[in-house]
Amino acid sequence: MPRIYKALTIILAFTGCIGLITTGELNPLMIVAGTAIIPGYIRFWKDKPALTKLAVGSLSISVLLVFILDSLLISGEIFIAVAHLTIIFQALKSYDIKEPWDHLQVYFMSLLQLIIASELTQSGIFGIIFIVFLITLVAAMVISHFTKEGTLKKIKLKAPVTAITVITLIVTVVFFIAAPRLQGGFGGKHYKKSVKTSGFSNNVSFGSFGEIKLNHEIIMRAEMSKNLPFSIYWRGVMLNYFDGISWQNTFKKRYRIYRDKDIFELVKIPEEKILTQKIFVEPLDSDVIFGIGTISRIEMETRVLFADYGGGVYTHDKSYKRLNYVIYSTLEEQTATEQTYDYLNLPSELIRTADFARRITRGINKTIDKAVKIENYLKANYRYSLKTPPPPEDMNPIEDFLFNTKQGYCEHYATSMALMLRALGIPSRIVTGFLNGEKNEYGNYIIVRQSDAHSWVEAVIDGKWKRFDPTPPAPPTTTPSAYSLFLDSLRMKWYSYVVSFSSADQKQLFSNFSLRFSKLKAIPKITGLNIRKLLVIILITAGAAFFFFVIKRVKRTKYSFITQEYLKFKKFLKRKGAKINQSSTPSDILKEASRLGIGHNVSEFISLYQIVRFGKKELNNEEKNKYKNLILY
Amino acid sequence: MARKSLSLLQERIDSVIKGKPNSVRMAIVTLLSRGHLLIEDVPGVGKTTLAFTLAKAINCSFQRIQFTSDMLPTDIIGLSIYNSDSQNFDFKQGPIFANIVLADEINRTSPKTQSALLEAMNERRVSIDRKTYTLPEPFMVIATQNPLEYHGTFPLPESQIDRFLMHIKLGYPEKEYERQVLIGQQNLEIIEKMEPVITGEEIVKMQLEVDSVIVENSLVDYLISIITATRNNEKIRLGVSTRGGQFLMKAAKASAYYEGRDYVVPNDIKDMATPVLGHRLILKAGHSLNYAELIMKEILERIPVPV
Repeated sequence: MPRIYKALTIILAFTGCIGLITTGELNPLMIVAGTAIIPGYIRFWKDKPALTKLAVGSLSISVLLVFILDSLLISGEIFIAVAHLTIIFQALKSYDIKEPWDHLQVYFMSLLQLIIASELTQSGIFGIIFIVFLITLVAAMVISHFTKEGTLKKIKLKAPVTAITVITLIVTVVFFIAAPRLQGGFGGKHYKKSVKTSGFSNNVSFGSFGEIKLNHEIIMRAEMSKNLPFSIYWRGVMLNYFDGISWQNTFKKRYRIYRDKDIFELVKIPEEKILTQKIFVEPLDSDVIFGIGTISRIEMETRVLFADYGGGVYTHDKSYKRLNYVIYSTLEEQTATEQTYDYLNLPSELIRTADFARRITRGINKTIDKAVKIENYLKANYRYSLKTPPPPEDMNPIEDFLFNTKQGYCEHYATSMALMLRALGIPSRIVTGFLNGEKNEYGNYIIVRQSDAHSWVEAVIDGKWKRFDPTPPAPPTTTPSAYSLFLDSLRMKWYSYVVSFSSADQKQLFSNFSLRFSKLKAIPKITGLNIRKLLVIILITAGAAFFFFVIKRVKRTKYSFITQEYLKFKKFLKRKGAKINQSSTPSDILKEASRLGIGHNVSEFISLYQIVRFGKKELNNEEKNKYKNLILY
Repeated sequence: MARKSLSLLQERIDSVIKGKPNSVRMAIVTLLSRGHLLIEDVPGVGKTTLAFTLAKAINCSFQRIQFTSDMLPTDIIGLSIYNSDSQNFDFKQGPIFANIVLADEINRTSPKTQSALLEAMNERRVSIDRKTYTLPEPFMVIATQNPLEYHGTFPLPESQIDRFLMHIKLGYPEKEYERQVLIGQQNLEIIEKMEPVITGEEIVKMQLEVDSVIVENSLVDYLISIITATRNNEKIRLGVSTRGGQFLMKAAKASAYYEGRDYVVPNDIKDMATPVLGHRLILKAGHSLNYAELIMKEILERIPVPV
């Protein structure tokens, strides 16, 4: 094997691994395990022999077991688990490179690693690594082609390899520049927080300025019982008090929601009006539970949930874990039962705003019409912009927006409208959450990103909370590629079928089968306690059994009848304490057998084995039977 | 048939060289592989006897050349002498023109003479005055080296040691056999009286048959992995050459043939590996055959035998 070919394989293996590691998404433990690749390739470079089949086989199985555990428990995320798997397999492979096929396998794994890495990162280093990978891959393919043809020595490789590499590079660069893709990558979690980014937050504040960067990180995925037309408002938290700069929720008191098993019930709503949403929320710096409209009840595997009087639902603390829950809610407007003066506070400095509100709504009598007027006025006369220059001194940012810049984003619009309504004596509040998202046709669910964060207004009109959204539509952003949507749908399937497989699902499964007998009703309760663990154990056992079976099977079909008998005898001798190992020849085994006095007709059997195995003679069935019981041990 | 006469041959030689059946087997295997044998040992352990007995038992001519520092190539090959009657140069054959040639203490002569011998061994013919003389068949050189005497010797360079198929040691016989040797008849008398058990022609025929012994593919791989392992061993400076591999293959086939098989089994290769490859290894530390054999053993222990 030419040296250069080896070098290229090593480079390719490393680009894949480095590409993955630079994403910073991997478990450090797995990276440490993956560093076994370094001694592996040093051995490979020095032409040390590959590990034995047994070693590679048993290591592979343990890696697969780790993979199952990893995907279910450690990282709980199939994507990351596959990334870990490739890292470790790549390391394992470095000890087992023998044939050209093995090199191809390394290339394939590197490619897989880079595809996964591209999903996890958006850093420039990755681009460089990917270009290195492409160039090396082309060179390796060209060289392997010439090696196969046997012309490597005869012709000069430099020119063609350089030419093809340069062409590939140009094509890649053109493709890289021209191909449409998302501004902010896809699914990246480590967005730099140094710039103000769009996204959900429990607070609304006008304390900082500058241009807001859109963050396209996925925050939530949701399946719904009904296909709603767009204009879906994912309600998060309600804010009632504005101090001139920022909004706050002054309902400090939260109450525990009554829990029955895994169901937390807030208000009773007739079943026919219920809209069900199965929601998967990515790790988020917030304790808010999202849902469409008014939440009736929540199904979630947690101990406690809290609610406030503004209809907000919260977990007991900020969870930086992935959450999944089912929301049962209604789109019907909520009756305003609370004391509405809580929603009328207005900072005294905003006199111009109050005047402005009155001026716009002059001559209108009905409350609803006043609100609609303000909503439409803001929508029509103001421009959507993520750029907000700092206001002049002594100028409230809201008034600066209303009277000077006349451009801003949802928070400006919602705040302005809420304050204007309050000036007119209409109780109002701000709600933050998400607007719409995008439908993923592949999995028929909705993807909600940080950039979909939104705030809007709710006002009491005729005793009911009515929603208003004064924000003009934002300019459209680039749509994600079909490819990334497809990948995301796979992730969603994994979440909904495996990760969120709850004890309730388990119970349902049990009851769907034969557990209708009253005596057996106790079983689901007992097993329900540790369903996840049970599932893991079952999976691992099944996996291990499967691999054991496969390996046995492979071994069986690989060896002929007589060889199997020989191997059995060898094993038997070893158990009896014979000093034999992999380097023992049949003659050595014969010697050991006679030394230990084990077996009869061993010598005949061994010579028969040697005739068949190395003398290339076939046995007929009669001979087979004759020799089947030759060794009596 | 072949097996029978070969075991008879072994028996006959064993009756003279007592307690050395393995060395005798190696000598016979070398003969069957058309190779040459290098014996390294101190004087007086039966090297000459082995060579002479072998020649006698196969009914072939035998010549012994005692190598000295002042020897010339012509002392081995022969020379042309002017014949005044025919007014021509007549070629007078040297001692190399025999079936079994014992080159005693080969390291005592100058490299020039050594190389003349080794060339004859390799080519199986000698060229003098633009004429080529073919050596008789079968032809086998058994060379001996005294490992303890270094004074005034010319150790064989690696390239020439490589020409020998095998390199073995005889060693002292075990006590019981030594006793038999001491009280028994003088060796030479027995040998003189010895009846041949096989003819030279038969040996040549067997040598041809050895070539058709089959080697299964996985055994070829096994052999290759042994050779490759010598090249990658950290204690070895220079591993086995391709010729070394060829020789091992030949010896394995001859060993199989000797055992009466027409196919090679793993043991043939494993058995022959040390005597065939040991002397070809150029070690990093020292230059002892014992140490090389130890390393060979280590290597063989590591390589899995095909099943």
